[in-house]
Amino acid sequence: MLRFKDPAWSPYVAGVLIGLLQIPAFLLVNTALGASSSYVTLGTVVGGLVDPAMSAHAYFASYVATAKDFWQLAMVLGIAAGAYLSARASGLLRQGFSPIWRRAAGIETLSSRALMAFSGGFILLFGARLAGGCASGHGLSGMAQLAIGSMVTVAAMFAAGIVIAQLFRRV
Amino acid sequence: MDFLLLALLGAAMGLAFGIALEKGRVFEPGMIVGQMQLRNFTMLKMFLAATATSLVVLAILNGVFGVGLHPKATYYGANLMGGLLMGVGMVLAGACPGTAAAQIGVGYKDAWFTVLGGIVGAVAYGYLEPGFIQPMLLAEGPGRLRLDSLIGLPFWATALAIAAVLVLGLVALERWRPWRADLGQNHEGLSASADAAPTAARTA
Repeated sequence: MLRFKDPAWSPYVAGVLIGLLQIPAFLLVNTALGASSSYVTLGTVVGGLVDPAMSAHAYFASYVATAKDFWQLAMVLGIAAGAYLSARASGLLRQGFSPIWRRAAGIETLSSRALMAFSGGFILLFGARLAGGCASGHGLSGMAQLAIGSMVTVAAMFAAGIVIAQLFRRV
Repeated sequence: MDFLLLALLGAAMGLAFGIALEKGRVFEPGMIVGQMQLRNFTMLKMFLAATATSLVVLAILNGVFGVGLHPKATYYGANLMGGLLMGVGMVLAGACPGTAAAQIGVGYKDAWFTVLGGIVGAVAYGYLEPGFIQPMLLAEGPGRLRLDSLIGLPFWATALAIAAVLVLGLVALERWRPWRADLGQNHEGLSASADAAPTAARTA
């Protein structure tokens, strides 16, 4: 039995649940699951306060144009809320940063980890926007629609990830 | 559907998504980096299970009910380079764009910087796209290319066949490596032996 208090469900159960979310996405929102567009939407909303010309820029304007853009942003915010509730129920709320960074890369302070996380996030989203989707949009949704471009993206993502991960100690 | 209803639907779907990512433990940096180090297979299992489920869902929605697909257009250069960058970023961040949000939810402080870097990266891309990237990498492409049309089979049949192959692969993967073995101490995807080794060295 799956209980909300459990610390872990099998990755198969988690994967099936996530896959089933394609049903409301396709039927009610007329789109596929994805996450990386929401970073552009949020960046445009926040950046527009600093640079009002941003919303006139064609690329940014297309990410705040329809209710779908805000559907995805709301979904990504919901992910944070769902993870919080789930971890609170099982007593697995976290503090600081994961011990993997100290063990695998010798990082001791939050400030050095923050710098690495910021750089990683920058490269991750720059890459996702260049590819036209992330691990959800190309990974789950693109592979499931048998899109050739998504297969190329996912293969490249794993190839580069496996190479770069060799820089870290295996813990 | 109007704006507010769609946003509420998004929040509800995100709630389910976040619970699944957290219970599946796949949002943990130890699992994500561990997958790329080929020492932990939680992420691949969740990803393939989600892909197989999506394939079956879409085979039915499209094959039986005629619901339209939304595959992304193929641009080989952009797909390849974007994918490579994503792999590098995923290891440094210990997250993908969706799991970074889950990391913030459970309390990891560094994930705020992943998201901040992500927003800056996405905005930087947006400024560069029209002038530089569009003419170089997005000017020409084969369009919304799909495997089923390339091999000349119906979408539903190709999707179900690939889903079946993925399920068989997952059964083999689970036999080789039971999922509980990858949870690690404190469910963070780190092996217990790595914890024990430095302690043993110190006490010796």
